[in-house]
Amino acid sequence: MDKLDNILEKRLARLEAGEPLELCLADLPEDEAVSLKKAAMLSSIADTAPASNKFADQRRELLRLARENNKRSSESSSVLKKARPRWVFPAAMAGGAFTIFTCLVIFSLLAGLAGLRWLGSPQGVALKVPDPQSAMLEDLRGLVEVQDSNGTWKVAQVGQSMEAGQHIRTGALSSATLSLYDGSRTRLGPTAEMSIDELDAQKSGPRVVVLTQSLGESQHDVAKSGDPASRYEVHTASGVGTAKGTSFRVFVTVALLVRFEVDEGAVAVTNLDTTVIVVAGQSTVIVFGHVPTQPVFRMSGEGEVEKTGSVWHIAGRTFRADSDTVFVGHPEVGDLVAFEARIVTDGSPILVRVVLVAFAPENRFAFTGTVDSMGGDEWMIAGRAVHVDGTTEIDNDIQVGDVVEVKGGIREDGALWATDIHLIEANEEGLPFEFVGVIDGITDPEWTISGITVTVGDDTHIDTGLVAGDVVHVRGRILDGTWLAKSIERAEEDEREFTITGDVENREPWVVAGIGFDTDERTEIDDGIDAGDRVKVEGRILEDGHWVAEEIELLEDAEPRRFKFTGVVDSINPWSVGGIELTTDNQTVIEGQIEAGDLVFVKGVILPDGVWLAETIKRLDNDLGCLSFSTAVRQTDVNQIVLLDWQVIQLGRKLKVEGEINVATVIIVSGCTQEDGAFSITHIIVIYQLDSLPIIIKRPSHGNGNDEGEHEEDEDDDDHD
Amino acid sequence: MASLAPVRETTFMPDLSSPELIASAQRGNEEAIGTLYGAHSQAVFRYFKARLGHQQTAEDLTGEVFRRMLTGLPQYRAIDLPFRAWLFRIAHNLLIDQYRRESGHEMIPLKEVENASADEIDPASVVEQKLTMEDAHRALSDLEPSQRDVLALRFLSGLSLKETAFAMGRTEDAIKALQRRGLAALRLGLAIHK
Repeated sequence: MDKLDNILEKRLARLEAGEPLELCLADLPEDEAVSLKKAAMLSSIADTAPASNKFADQRRELLRLARENNKRSSESSSVLKKARPRWVFPAAMAGGAFTIFTCLVIFSLLAGLAGLRWLGSPQGVALKVPDPQSAMLEDLRGLVEVQDSNGTWKVAQVGQSMEAGQHIRTGALSSATLSLYDGSRTRLGPTAEMSIDELDAQKSGPRVVVLTQSLGESQHDVAKSGDPASRYEVHTASGVGTAKGTSFRVFVTVALLVRFEVDEGAVAVTNLDTTVIVVAGQSTVIVFGHVPTQPVFRMSGEGEVEKTGSVWHIAGRTFRADSDTVFVGHPEVGDLVAFEARIVTDGSPILVRVVLVAFAPENRFAFTGTVDSMGGDEWMIAGRAVHVDGTTEIDNDIQVGDVVEVKGGIREDGALWATDIHLIEANEEGLPFEFVGVIDGITDPEWTISGITVTVGDDTHIDTGLVAGDVVHVRGRILDGTWLAKSIERAEEDEREFTITGDVENREPWVVAGIGFDTDERTEIDDGIDAGDRVKVEGRILEDGHWVAEEIELLEDAEPRRFKFTGVVDSINPWSVGGIELTTDNQTVIEGQIEAGDLVFVKGVILPDGVWLAETIKRLDNDLGCLSFSTAVRQTDVNQIVLLDWQVIQLGRKLKVEGEINVATVIIVSGCTQEDGAFSITHIIVIYQLDSLPIIIKRPSHGNGNDEGEHEEDEDDDDHD
Repeated sequence: MASLAPVRETTFMPDLSSPELIASAQRGNEEAIGTLYGAHSQAVFRYFKARLGHQQTAEDLTGEVFRRMLTGLPQYRAIDLPFRAWLFRIAHNLLIDQYRRESGHEMIPLKEVENASADEIDPASVVEQKLTMEDAHRALSDLEPSQRDVLALRFLSGLSLKETAFAMGRTEDAIKALQRRGLAALRLGLAIHK
């Protein structure tokens, strides 16, 4: 049948390309010839149009609505723009090179498989919710608005109280937390909208919380309630999730595709009179107008991309992508990504979301230096030839003698190719900054962008038509505590980085130049940084608006010209990495046993004579990535467990198992894929006990057991109609 | 066997929505929004007309698709879904919603095609017949809902195989299979001139 499908499709494609029907019919089997003719007939129907005035009326109405939207945007500063509803990856997945993987990124599993985690609020301690009928707003990021009784959207404030009947929404790079009286918490991700329909969050007695989520992503940590009449419901256009004491997440796309993912406990998900019970480690999807799909287990992790297309290889594993897979940041082969997948009934994972975490780190460099000369396709900077081309982003007004920061790639022959050349010193006052944020408010001369007040002047370049809710890239300098903007430009979706230079005001939590940000296990922090020191901070901005530093660099008083890059070691004596010769001295720190062929990260200073003196040479692990997946246990004994998909895990002394494993226990298995492709399991955590195995998966034909009576499901044959 | 008549220009259409046009529409540019409406309204209408057979409802739903497009445009990203596929996914969802509202289940064909048998079609004469959308609706009404959707999207609205797969949330292989089965079951020749 597949063959006939393909034959017909090929002929249809030819017909579609304009080839005459007679030629397309040539040599076709009779049945297919008839089918092709029918297709041609259908395609040739021309007498289909509404009355001409109907189209004109509709077009007019559409433009009127567009005009109203535009007007509302500029009047109320409240348009939610750009950015898909995406926001599930924890801060730990936000920065750094893939080579710095450790088991530390094997998730705070009980806090959520591949899910966002509750991040500490730099805005203060948790607020006390006054009564069961109130919800308190906390940890606001970016643009968060609450609709007042007149239907007007107003910018929300930390500590603001909400009650039943009110709506809340977030912009891009934005998020908010609603704390309830009983200790339950609801976190709303970027570009999301939710209403509180019923709210009586009693600590004792029946707790009633009913929310409606119309768009975006939310996480719900529901406090336990002993009262059987308690309910916590999240309604969507495509179904309802009901929980009692649990942790789960809800995703609603603009096409009304809804996904419920459960991290703890169980959630009953219902649509069209059909209910499925989704337990910890599982998810279900509801296509608008259909019943919920059978819950499936999930997989998530981080790793290097080795293949893209309809089939992806990430972290040494093979995944399928489908039309619902969301890709963030255009990841390519070699890049580090965070991923989520659902494990379908045949045991294979289908990607739900892939987020670019870092570009392929190998053979990338950055250094600062003085411009010696500027040729058409070659500049001399700090005594080194740097190639430039039409794709190199070069700041305006750079002249010979200026100090610049150069970033780019190292070719196999060691040649440096610049992707960016930025002016960092041109006798300007103040300290440079740049970041991407969402416009919260516009006044003259101050704009608020992701909570940061920047001052604009006559010489500030501002893209036309910017309104609140737009995501922008801001560059400028900090002078006497004032952030003076040089430019405010529309930002690309995946352009979410920041750089600030300033004095350290606090460590734990970090505050530099008045800005708080997070660090994680992959943040590179120079030794000896204390409050009062001047530092340069570079990092990424998560989709929910949190800033995570990738590097905090101590700036000396007399700042030497610095470099950093990753590359493969060519030789050790003398040192050459990625074709670049290095000098070492007795201060150079060499981390790990390094041999030629190893991937290393190098940073150091460029001496006045142009010599690159390495301060640190660090060997980078070549793990392909780490991941976790949830599954159920089919069989178990003291030596091994057999998983739902018939994989066998040997229980050794090194394998850490938390919880009691029985038949039908739901577990999370975590581990890392080594360079040779072997998957090394490090943890198994019990998260739920089912009454019986949920899905029957056919035993592989090469297996050694009996698969009588079992079947394999084919997702493609699911017919939502 | 009779000779084949030339086929009129088909409705296979490339997606004319350039990224620049969509980006402009996302920024609220009225001209861009109007252009998107002009480029796709006919195809959307044809889809509804073929599935529902009712002119007024098809017109109303067409308008609703573009209203929802306007609401959803700020969140739309080409990386998720080609624009036309995204638009037709909205249409597809609206259609399902319409069925649910009307009867709580998939609509029963308005009129069964009488005395129909695929065997009675003369393959050579099929293309000589001139179909109307009412004919198409009657013929499609006899098919399984998924087959109906595939044929309407592919041949009446001009979506590519890939776009149809996106719009229906199915794999291309599944669409190919539905397409072949649907065309085979389509009693087109008998819906007219019989």
